[in-house]
Amino acid sequence: MKTKIFNSLGTNRAKLAYHAHKSFVRSGVNFATGVPCGVLKHIIRNLDNDRRILHIPVNRESEAVGLAAGAYFAGKTPIVYMQNSGLFAASNDIASLLIPYRIPVFFVVSYRGCRGEDAVQHLVTGRATERLIRSFELSFTVFEKHTYDLGALIDTMFRSMIKIKLPEFLLLKRGWCV
Amino acid sequence: MNRAEAIETIATVASSDDAIVSTTGLISREFFERFDSERNIYIPGSMGLSSSIGLGIALSRNNRRVIVVDGDASLLMNLGTIVTIGNKRPRNLLHIILDNGSYASCSEETSMSHSANLSRLARNVGYEYVRNADSCNRLKCAIVSFKRGPGFIRAVIALGGLRDFRRPLKLTEIKERFMRFLNQQRKG
Repeated sequence: MKTKIFNSLGTNRAKLAYHAHKSFVRSGVNFATGVPCGVLKHIIRNLDNDRRILHIPVNRESEAVGLAAGAYFAGKTPIVYMQNSGLFAASNDIASLLIPYRIPVFFVVSYRGCRGEDAVQHLVTGRATERLIRSFELSFTVFEKHTYDLGALIDTMFRSMIKIKLPEFLLLKRGWCV
Repeated sequence: MNRAEAIETIATVASSDDAIVSTTGLISREFFERFDSERNIYIPGSMGLSSSIGLGIALSRNNRRVIVVDGDASLLMNLGTIVTIGNKRPRNLLHIILDNGSYASCSEETSMSHSANLSRLARNVGYEYVRNADSCNRLKCAIVSFKRGPGFIRAVIALGGLRDFRRPLKLTEIKERFMRFLNQQRKG
């Protein structure tokens, strides 16, 4: 029997988003931009409510990549949030702006089109997401297990990103973890 | 006014404290070849994003004036950002469009700027200061009179011009130089 695995972990997500936010602040994040996704609502709300972070929502994912690059030039530590579908829209900007200029931007990406997905438009990008990031020779982490400490994971990802000066991707599945 | 004259006007009228973000193709290449400076950042890829990058800088450093040198096709490729600029209203951002009505860095294929009424669009989405300039003198006056942004100057230029410029290649060095420049205290 197939069990419904999505949309049932809302309260847990709020708690995880809180830990993620604490890690962003610890890591020096003071600029955020992106295009919303329902999966990321707690993360976006926390960015909105934190006056230490300049939060600029935009109209399309490419714009977010541009704003984050500008913020980085100006000395900020930016994060960008979007759905994985948007990652494809912004892929040339990651490849032709962030990589050649070596601009470290932390991406929080909701990962649609995984097992159990009910929306067909996400299936192709879902299958291709990890391959897309790998094809750019960039690194990503899929957060899957409840038991992992999301805050500590983000701390580690940030440290590595600052050292290598390249974008880093945290992929969060629809229920965040199953 | 041609591209060379427009770029020379911007480079000479801009203050040494201004940050200049130039768009993809010949605009960046001509800036790099003739007016390379620590205040410049060139955007050779990610066509259309020079306005978004300029906005990111302007919002992060609100005491630093930022001049974006965009093209008409490049602006049209990322039209959403003018809405973001009009919404966030950075007072320190001046967005200059070199409008030759074409993808001049390709093979001068026609763009849609002739029917887009870019200046009216800019005003409608919330730019505070909007000017058209069809001569070097008018462009110079429009830059000098700019006080409070977001500003938008549509500089109409002729097609043509030199094409065999060097490309900015050492991007990480250009980035580090630009970041040091942005970090300096403004003079005066």
